[in-house]
Amino acid sequence: MNFTKAKIRDLRKMLDSGEISAKELCGEYFKNIDEKDESLLSYITVTKDEALKSAEKAQKMIDEKQAKALTGIPLAIKDNICTDGIKTTCASKMLGDFVPPYNASVIEKLNEQGYVLLGKTSMDEFAMGGSTQTSAFKKTKNPYDLERVPGGSSGGSAAAVSASLAPAALGSDTGGSIRQPSSFCGVTGIKPTYGRVSRYGLVAFASSLDQIGPIANDAHDCAILLNAVCGYDRHDATSARIDVPDFTEKLGQPIKGMKIALPKEFYSDAIDGCVKDAVLSAAKELEKQGAVLEECSMPGLKYAIPAYYLIACAEAASNLSRFDGIKYGFRGEGRTFNDLIIDSRNKGFGEEVKRRILLGNYALSSGYYDAYYKKALALKQEIIKEYNEIFEKCDVILTPTAPTPAYKIGAQDNDPVKMYTADICTVTVNIAGLPGISTTCGYEKDSGLPIGMSIIGKRFDEQTILQTADAWEQGFTPVAPEF
Amino acid sequence: MSAYFPTMGLEIHAELLTKSKVFCTCSAEFGGTPNSRCCPVCSGMPGTLPVLNRKAVEYIIKAGYVMNCEISRFTKWDRKNYFYPDLPKAYQISQMPRPVCLSGNVKINVNGEEKTIRINRIHLEEDAGKLVHDEVNRISLADYNRCGIPLIEIVTEPDFHSADEVIAFMEKVKLLLQYAGICDCKMEQGSIRCDVNISIAPKGSTELGTRTELKNLNSLKAIAKAIEVEIDRQEEILESGEHVIQETRRFNEALGETTAMRSKEDAHDYRYFPDPDIPPIIFTEEELEEIKNSIPELPEQRVERYVNSLGLKKADADIIVGDKKVCDFFDEAIAAYNNPKAVANYIVGELTRRINLGEADMENLKFTGADFARLVELLQTDKLSQSNTKVVLGKMIETGEKPDDIAQKEDLWIKEDNDLLAKTIDEIIANNPKPVEQYKNGDKKVFGFFMGQANKALKGLASPKAIQEYLTKKLEE
Amino acid sequence: MAVDMKTIEHLCGLSKLSYDEKGMEKVMGEMSDIIDLMDEIKGFDLTYDDTKDNNEIRFCDTREDIPEKSFDTQKLLQNAENTDNCYVVPKVVE
Repeated sequence: MNFTKAKIRDLRKMLDSGEISAKELCGEYFKNIDEKDESLLSYITVTKDEALKSAEKAQKMIDEKQAKALTGIPLAIKDNICTDGIKTTCASKMLGDFVPPYNASVIEKLNEQGYVLLGKTSMDEFAMGGSTQTSAFKKTKNPYDLERVPGGSSGGSAAAVSASLAPAALGSDTGGSIRQPSSFCGVTGIKPTYGRVSRYGLVAFASSLDQIGPIANDAHDCAILLNAVCGYDRHDATSARIDVPDFTEKLGQPIKGMKIALPKEFYSDAIDGCVKDAVLSAAKELEKQGAVLEECSMPGLKYAIPAYYLIACAEAASNLSRFDGIKYGFRGEGRTFNDLIIDSRNKGFGEEVKRRILLGNYALSSGYYDAYYKKALALKQEIIKEYNEIFEKCDVILTPTAPTPAYKIGAQDNDPVKMYTADICTVTVNIAGLPGISTTCGYEKDSGLPIGMSIIGKRFDEQTILQTADAWEQGFTPVAPEF
Repeated sequence: MSAYFPTMGLEIHAELLTKSKVFCTCSAEFGGTPNSRCCPVCSGMPGTLPVLNRKAVEYIIKAGYVMNCEISRFTKWDRKNYFYPDLPKAYQISQMPRPVCLSGNVKINVNGEEKTIRINRIHLEEDAGKLVHDEVNRISLADYNRCGIPLIEIVTEPDFHSADEVIAFMEKVKLLLQYAGICDCKMEQGSIRCDVNISIAPKGSTELGTRTELKNLNSLKAIAKAIEVEIDRQEEILESGEHVIQETRRFNEALGETTAMRSKEDAHDYRYFPDPDIPPIIFTEEELEEIKNSIPELPEQRVERYVNSLGLKKADADIIVGDKKVCDFFDEAIAAYNNPKAVANYIVGELTRRINLGEADMENLKFTGADFARLVELLQTDKLSQSNTKVVLGKMIETGEKPDDIAQKEDLWIKEDNDLLAKTIDEIIANNPKPVEQYKNGDKKVFGFFMGQANKALKGLASPKAIQEYLTKKLEE
Repeated sequence: MAVDMKTIEHLCGLSKLSYDEKGMEKVMGEMSDIIDLMDEIKGFDLTYDDTKDNNEIRFCDTREDIPEKSFDTQKLLQNAENTDNCYVVPKVVE
């Protein structure tokens, strides 16, 4: 059997018809992982023993005709989502041996469905980065070109799905960490509206921006996975008390008359020509399907990078203060509390994490708070306002997902400013708390590297962006990596 | 007379009487085996999130109302960032720019004079854990059971100029919080704690001096003593031409002195910012009205009711209301025996005396208000003599037995022995012809003399009423 | 340079991090570049109004005060150096 680019819904049919057992199915993926992950480096932890147990449980549900959408479906989970009894490292030496005593709410939901965990995927350390090269354990490669980055921070999840080492995965997105690696690896990933999915059990990077979301082979699979993990959670006060629709409901509906906005600032010279061309020609295709393209403007984008980094790092500096070597995580040496904590953090954190902690404390420290942090919050309000104005006239917004296709490993090393500015296309979606989906819109002519486009929707209107992405995907033939 | 006058402001932390902690569902009870009242949230596990307890918010709103504060319609929470091993998240969830309560006031009475203390703000925050120091192994052990117990911090304006004012205010605040059902105010358990900001300045000066902050004040006595010694210390410094250093000082009760605490490093820059995990809250007028209406009767209203409706003396009512435990006991007693004046008399007279002597302790009373009421009833209905009533109370304090059982067992009932009564009084009359004559000549005052004689002779064997009746009959013959 | 050594030292103190001399030089250079990038926000001149974030919840949406069972102590301590049910910390001097 060939499971290359197998869809969740196809696997569902195979499981329900008895064509394959849950145990055999996860076995197929483990075989792929054993064969290929040595060079791809997408998993930090592979959970074969646990998978066999959950596969048995799933099989029972299937045999008793109690199967749900994800019963017996193998999934990969980003290694910053807590799994009870299974190491959750955040790709940091700081949490290298950390075994959470509890499950994230999304894991509880997946367990209820009877999913099968394949393993925990690599990422940038504490989700800080866009290349998965700040991982302390597995510096994941891009399946389309092993000399290139898979993107990040959810690079392990995106690469695993791209290379068929998992049919789908969960990632997390603080400033593009689901969408950008999805674009680099030629898969589809959605960052839901802030509050749509519980953050309980997601090791926090920036609490006001973080959101868990699916990475899969297409929008339809993303919708299936999102259906399973979304909804109000009493453990997360920021999760929304709002009715949850069936995210597959609008799939296949024509997009005739849909108004798609193209904010001109997203198509500036900072964006590679090949990316612009691919996104704009996809826009033309959507127009052919009956969508109406509207040009618009978002002046606030000019300040989006500093606003994003100031908010994200301020929150991160505070969120990461709890890592002191005492309660969990890497414990350094020191005869006093102060010495122990400094040594633990010096040795436990990587350089990028340290830089962001320093920046965050700079933005919050007395004398700088008003000029930086407060200013960033003002900008957040402005960006929300600008998005609202666009959505008064349009249904969705179309932008590139990243300024370039996947770049060479090492290209951004020692250049944090370059690394930060590369997030320009994705961060405003997190700042405004909106849903955004990235899907492949083409491949670079010479290299064959995938290029992604992002569809941004109104708050809690994931249905429409899934519908739009699906409409595009129906007429698009993806090229699997020859990995 | 000192050439300086002190100025003080208080920061009072009071633990709220919620059942669960403020940001998680662990029990908020005091104590427990170390780390047995903890969960991933209050022990600061990665990935966990705080979820605000409604009751804690309700309680701080009540605290605001009883201290005449303005209640914000929009309130939010901030992180106060600092590293300390009793603070597992390395930030305390607190409130900075938008506390629940602002600008209130509390009236106090000091040496017969009324004074108003202004409240700057009251905000809601979480308590930290506890450290036990192991000197031998040079380690500290961290217990997070107390982490996440809801606290309110009451910040006053610098309106105090003497220790007496501070003590009067603390007593008043304790009563208000206890009666509102917000805090049990046990200083010795740390459920209410007070830090004093204190400075002195030359008399007549309009500027305040440099202040120090006094911590570790575990009793009202300690507060008074710490203020006294800190004023002396600051005076000495100024007198010698030196400057007071702005710092936190710890009061050592055993030595009766304050010592500078090693400052928490970088403690001056807490980097407050809005906690992104806790959405701000908005209140409707109806919600606030409902909370306001649910505040139980406060001390002043109770005194008024006891005086006006129950007919107690103001002084007695003040004493009873002055201790919530006594007051609840009183209410329980009069519910069982509707004779408020008699019950109040016996509480203020006899029970309070024994408490002051250390014989009884309201915290651990072995009998109920109803038992006490029965005792007073036995006295009032001439079943027990004054002196035997005291004997029975003593036994009740000791054993918690019922008054009737004690009286029965110890044979303390007044015995209505009419033959003995007649015989004894006849003898007294026979032995005192002169007073009898005085009485017959219209000097009714000597009746008291006969009553005294008879009571003494018939101790516990006849009720005063019976004695009075027989004596009157005989003398009028 | 947007930041000087003193500022970096202060930030290290707040962050509980430290660098050797060479590391300090390097991080100072990087932080200067980063802060130059952040300084672009100074060109934006609107002010922040915290009452207009539209993210507040209603009082009645807060959690009810119902205690639940706490966690197994040993499970909570499973990642920590511990003794007598407590976390072990180097002695704290007050």
